[in-house]
Amino acid sequence: MRAASQAKLAAAQNADGGWGYFPGKQSWLEPTVYALLALADQPDGPAFARGWKLIRSWELPCGGWRGCAAVNEAHWATSLVVTLHAALDVYDGAFERGVAWLVGLTGAEGRPLSRLAHWLRPAIVEFDPELCGWPWQAGASSWTEPTAHAVMALRGALGHANSPEIATRIMIGERMLLERRCRDGGWNYGNRRVLGADLPSYPETTALALMALAGHTSIQWGTMLNHVERMRRETRSPLARAWLSACLLQYRGERPAPADMTGGDDVVVAAVEAIRWERILA
Amino acid sequence: MGADPCMIGRREFLRSGLGVAVAATVACRRSQTKPVTQARAAVAILRAASYSDDLVDRLWRGAAACGLQARGLRVLIKPNLVEVVPGAPVHTEAAVLAAVVELFEKLGAAEIIIGEGPGHRRDTLFLAEEAGYREVVPRFDARFVDLNRDDVACVRGFAGSDSGIYLPRTALGADLVVSVARMKTHHWAGATLAMKNLFGVVPGALYGWPKNYLHQVGIGPSVAGLYRIFPRTFAIVDGIVGMEGNGPIQGRARPCGALVMGRDMAAVDATCCRIMGIDPMRIEYLRLVSAPGQINAERIEQRGEPIAAVRTPFALIPEFRHVRLG
Repeated sequence: MRAASQAKLAAAQNADGGWGYFPGKQSWLEPTVYALLALADQPDGPAFARGWKLIRSWELPCGGWRGCAAVNEAHWATSLVVTLHAALDVYDGAFERGVAWLVGLTGAEGRPLSRLAHWLRPAIVEFDPELCGWPWQAGASSWTEPTAHAVMALRGALGHANSPEIATRIMIGERMLLERRCRDGGWNYGNRRVLGADLPSYPETTALALMALAGHTSIQWGTMLNHVERMRRETRSPLARAWLSACLLQYRGERPAPADMTGGDDVVVAAVEAIRWERILA
Repeated sequence: MGADPCMIGRREFLRSGLGVAVAATVACRRSQTKPVTQARAAVAILRAASYSDDLVDRLWRGAAACGLQARGLRVLIKPNLVEVVPGAPVHTEAAVLAAVVELFEKLGAAEIIIGEGPGHRRDTLFLAEEAGYREVVPRFDARFVDLNRDDVACVRGFAGSDSGIYLPRTALGADLVVSVARMKTHHWAGATLAMKNLFGVVPGALYGWPKNYLHQVGIGPSVAGLYRIFPRTFAIVDGIVGMEGNGPIQGRARPCGALVMGRDMAAVDATCCRIMGIDPMRIEYLRLVSAPGQINAERIEQRGEPIAAVRTPFALIPEFRHVRLG
């Protein structure tokens, strides 16, 4: 299955060395980094070299990476680039700048006006504004997925990057994730309760949050991983199944049996299924 | 005789990168100067008691009443697929989407694309499956574009700022964007109809899940900004069964038995508001896009059923009781 996913990725690579979300589409940072992580055990291959060259050309002066050639702004998937560098043991200046950019980015809900608005009407969206994670875009509030990726990236950077704030940001990021946990025990995009109503979790974001909360003592891991297994059996979403498999691979070290379902031509699904998460997040 | 390389067709031009760049530039100019419609806008209201009615017939009559032309056009149909909650009227019903596709086939559209970029979950094709679209809409997969993860181009001047917004090339290159929304209340905006449905064209790959950037800019200015970017639109609102209360996701089903359609998206949304018992001038995005009096009832030419025949007051959460039509 992993070899099939890698072959699918090799066939989907664009002429510029990157990958789009679907074959033949514009190269984006996110699918390109996932594809390179999936091909990380073939770093001398031509596909990897071309992709790596493109990624390195997308670094911006601010330390973040652009989302695609058409977008001249630092992108949330900079966290994935930091994870890629750590997976390859490349701890150079670009890595350092990426870590610094990530450490400097925080959710807008911590700003004074946002905090005042939340203090005046705390039941609109229930969350702790002291716990700021990472936004999808600078100037926006923090959400589950970018926070999970940033926590994983910074954990991989610990001991390799020269920033005293890394450990603190990881800790606050973990606390933010725990505080945004839905009543049903999982995670959705990042709102657990709005206007007095509990919101349900999603399988893919639950998997990502658990991957970021590696070993956290407040999680009952046995129960939770059994729940992840059950969700993986039941979901009809190829993307959700891929992330749930990645979560099980990270914690149990075994790649779950393939399901009777394909992700079609979705490059992110193919890549997430092929990445050795147990090594990358070890 | 060989073709002159400069004499390419309009669709081929729009599909090319240059075409999208020009379309983005034109959209940018229009985003600042979209003219105020002086003529009365035609809005058709069609009764449909259930999703098993002959919806294509209803839409065909509505299209004729509004003078809709689509022959030779590249049409992007944008349903509302923000989420799928089993049994709840959150998304555009599959039967309505299938009927809209058939309508544009009958109208002679050159190409029909279905595009959506859901706001909360990333697996768009899975949501389409759960919504029944892949089962009910012929050749759905071949027609479908995930707008969250499409190629993008920048449109300058969004929502009054100097900075631009990146939008899918598929949407910018369409001759006609057809918003096919569900009639719902909305706990941040008051009501979500054809215009608010345009949030789904904003690419999640850049702005995330949810597209929080639009909330930071402000829901009203963002809806108005998107409306101005797409000058060639048509609106169809599925009010056969709508959603009241804590919409757009956690509200209750509210049968209304109507389809509302027209070429002027603001007039269609204003009409839907009146059907729902909401004052359209108290909905911020409608106020922002309308010149004084533009969406007054006397400036809209109602065709088909009168509003009174389908009026169904939708329950409002306390935060929006002030928008109730007095």
